[in-house]
Amino acid sequence: MKIVVAVKQVAALDDDFEIRADGLDVDEDFLMYDLNEWDDYSLEEAMKIKEAAAEGAVEVIAVSVGPERVDESLRKCLAKGADRAIRVWDDAMEGSDAVTIGRILAGVVKKEAPAMVFAGVQSSDQANAATGMAIAASLDWPHAAVVAELDYQPGAATARIKRELEGGMLQAVEIDCPAVLTLQLGINKPRYASLRGIKQAAAKPIEHWSLGDLGLDATQVGTTAALSRVRRMEIPVKGRAQMIEGTIAEQAAKLIEIIKEYKGEAA
Amino acid sequence: MSDTTLVTRILFQDFSSWSITLFYLLGYTAIGIFAHGVYTQVRKYRRGRPLDIGAWRQRAVTMVQDMLTHRTLVRRDRKAGRAHALIFFGFALLFIGTATITLEYDILQPLFGWRFWHSEFYLWFSLVLDIAGAGLIAGVLYMMYRRQWLKLPKLDYARPDRSPQDPDYDRSAYRREDWAFLWALILIGITGFVLEATRLVWLSGQPTVWDLRFWSPVGAVMAHAMQWFGLSPEGAGLFRSGLWWFHGLLALTFIALIPYSKIKHIVTAPTSLMLRDPLAGRRLPKVPEEQASAGYQYITDFKWKELLHLDACTKCGRCHEACPANAVGAPLSPRDVILSLREFANQSLNAVTLPEKAELDVHGKAPGQVFMETLWSCRTCLACVEICPVAVEHVPIIVQMRRKLVEDGNMEPLLEKTLQTIHKTGNSFGESKRKRAAWTKELPFTIKDARKEAVDMLWFVGDYASFDPRNQKVTRAFARLMHQAGVDFGLLFEGEMNAGNDVRRVGEEGLYEYLATANITSIRDCEFKSVVTTDPHSYNTIRNEYPDFGGEFEIQHYTTVVRELLLQGRLRLSKTLGYRVTFHDPCHLGRYNKGFDAPRDILQMLGCELVEMGRNRDNSFCCGAGGGRIWIPDAPGTEKPSQNRMHEAGAIEGLQVFVVSCPKDLTMFEDALKTSGYEGKFVVRELIELIEECVEYDESPALSVEV
Repeated sequence: MKIVVAVKQVAALDDDFEIRADGLDVDEDFLMYDLNEWDDYSLEEAMKIKEAAAEGAVEVIAVSVGPERVDESLRKCLAKGADRAIRVWDDAMEGSDAVTIGRILAGVVKKEAPAMVFAGVQSSDQANAATGMAIAASLDWPHAAVVAELDYQPGAATARIKRELEGGMLQAVEIDCPAVLTLQLGINKPRYASLRGIKQAAAKPIEHWSLGDLGLDATQVGTTAALSRVRRMEIPVKGRAQMIEGTIAEQAAKLIEIIKEYKGEAA
Repeated sequence: MSDTTLVTRILFQDFSSWSITLFYLLGYTAIGIFAHGVYTQVRKYRRGRPLDIGAWRQRAVTMVQDMLTHRTLVRRDRKAGRAHALIFFGFALLFIGTATITLEYDILQPLFGWRFWHSEFYLWFSLVLDIAGAGLIAGVLYMMYRRQWLKLPKLDYARPDRSPQDPDYDRSAYRREDWAFLWALILIGITGFVLEATRLVWLSGQPTVWDLRFWSPVGAVMAHAMQWFGLSPEGAGLFRSGLWWFHGLLALTFIALIPYSKIKHIVTAPTSLMLRDPLAGRRLPKVPEEQASAGYQYITDFKWKELLHLDACTKCGRCHEACPANAVGAPLSPRDVILSLREFANQSLNAVTLPEKAELDVHGKAPGQVFMETLWSCRTCLACVEICPVAVEHVPIIVQMRRKLVEDGNMEPLLEKTLQTIHKTGNSFGESKRKRAAWTKELPFTIKDARKEAVDMLWFVGDYASFDPRNQKVTRAFARLMHQAGVDFGLLFEGEMNAGNDVRRVGEEGLYEYLATANITSIRDCEFKSVVTTDPHSYNTIRNEYPDFGGEFEIQHYTTVVRELLLQGRLRLSKTLGYRVTFHDPCHLGRYNKGFDAPRDILQMLGCELVEMGRNRDNSFCCGAGGGRIWIPDAPGTEKPSQNRMHEAGAIEGLQVFVVSCPKDLTMFEDALKTSGYEGKFVVRELIELIEECVEYDESPALSVEV
């Protein structure tokens, strides 16, 4: 029995960053990459199911779409105990949106035929919160988003879950399997991947799949297939917060001046 | 006297042959029990991992020096050390004496007919052994007094890592053993003298004995006393035979029990001293590439040397007393770590067959186990390793066990986060790499990029000095000092990463390897003569640990560099300070690397009046930041080691400045100054700031270091 965990390598911004010349994204020089925080939880949930089952009964497969740098994040998944890692990429996939990525990942799911697909609720960089649901849509599978609790026995026909709603509400749901679930932060305590573990995982192979492996062609992925396209990325004009400098007396004086100004009194 | 060979002691005088036979049977039994014990102990050690010791001869010489001078025992407890010397030398001489008699009586005489234990040699022998016996008794008496009346906290077995309801909280068995040991020694000594005296009274009619009685002065005085009380020679003879057996059986029991009891230390302590690693804790062991799991999971993961160290501990409590974690009530005493592991090793490794798995359990409260709360309390300050009189190396064992904790993710969430941050950004502040040298922007001159041009001195700045805003001021001040002195220096800029010293002491060996190799590669690509750093933590790992990864660099802490610049006149002082100061030795500069003098010399040159705290130099008290504890919050409501230290400094009358020479110290103590209520009474300053106050600058006056 297999569990596919869809993961993403997300970008974090440096304090001082610059927008790329074409205005569509941040200059890559100012990005630091890491595994999406939500994915630590979804992988951990898969690992918990694997470890509770008999040895070898559950196979956890981490899957990601992205260029070569993504291998580093997949290696972290292998270090944490994933059995296999698959990275899907083709230059034609550049510019894919969440729905298109969902289509690509669904291609992998069709090939692997898992009993469960896990994804994070959202990614910390793009925050579409759509990819997991897009996989389910592509597959036409049952799905549940923002899962905060999961009760699932490997091979069972249904799983019981609790979904997180607004205002601290939980919704208990029974879902038919196989299903696609997007998991919320806090559903478990992700394990630490020690650097030695990551280094040892370097010996485990990462499978590289391309368009052909999925039975897709270039027109179904990338910018051409995407239903939305980035037009521009911008840094909003700074707000009105301002740091008052100087000695305490000077700061107080300045503060009084500002208050008076707002009240319309003469300085 | 015509035949001087009559001047001797006749062994087994007037014993029946069956009682002599009985004695020999008992003697062989005792030796048999002893030998079995030695065998099981050696078997236990051999169940540890192999380790090549090398250089046996030099090790033996140092060990003999340690024993003869008692230098490890007199430290910080002179009286106990001297009393031990009396017991040690007394016991050793008495043992040599008995062995000499055996040599003649059981070997040389029956085989070759040689005799030498008579005449003048015998008389001197008697005198020396009398003095030895008196020394032994005097030493034991002091030890008894010390245990009973001095009520030393280090000698009570209160455990910080267990509560009274835990099954192995009670260590009164150790206390009973301590007393049994002292009583056995003193009874053997006293009965020996009484025997000697009764023999003199018994044979008072024989001139070869009685006329020479004062060669055994203690026995002679006692003999006179016995006669004064009216003991007749016949009575003495009768009394003697009973006492002889008591003394003999006591001595044989003592010998038989050596491998099974505290007495064992007469063998394990010297061996442990011989196995001492001078770099213990300063250079932690590498994890072999092929080893699947880092750290210690089973007791059999211990090296044989470490198993032997466990057995060398005599529970003297010096480590217990020196430990900063124990001092603030954290659940750690280095002594109890060693004793727990010893108990666990004995329980699992003394059996005939090795148990399937003797797993160290860091959870729960199982007897003989060391829990993760205990392991995480350690600041790796090396106070315990430094003071242990028998060279037990606690810190490397603790780190080995932490490596397993890290691998299993058994750590504080905040620490886990920090380790991930360091992996991602190369620094513990989570700042981007390119901001590492941002502190240089405010300087009126530019600093060379050592990656692009050759420099004399490569400055390894370290995380705290690079990113912490308060420390950045000090870092800039040091840059101005170097600039003023005309030192040709440069930085690695974003090529520098966290040096890894504390990451390694946390137990994240893989991350350490990553940081160390990255830094070594960056440093190697530069052209320079030596490395300098203001950070004692970086200093330690670059100096002692990078060589294991192929990075052999000459490195100095700034204190020695600045002292040299001052002595050479490259830095001139325009004034002196006259402050009343105290100096806190950073663990990694002082105890770790013996850099005690340079900062003190500089303080003297600056005209400061240095008043030492009680705990100084090798006994300096850790600020609490070491071993990654700076990334682990202290439990709320407990005293921090840094606050404990502030109270010590606060007791110095008229103290103006608490001087430190380590970035982490500055952070820890400025915080502790406020939280322990000394703000406004004295200030915490980095030594660099005091130097900056006095140095004469050519160019625009130094930017004042406002604090």
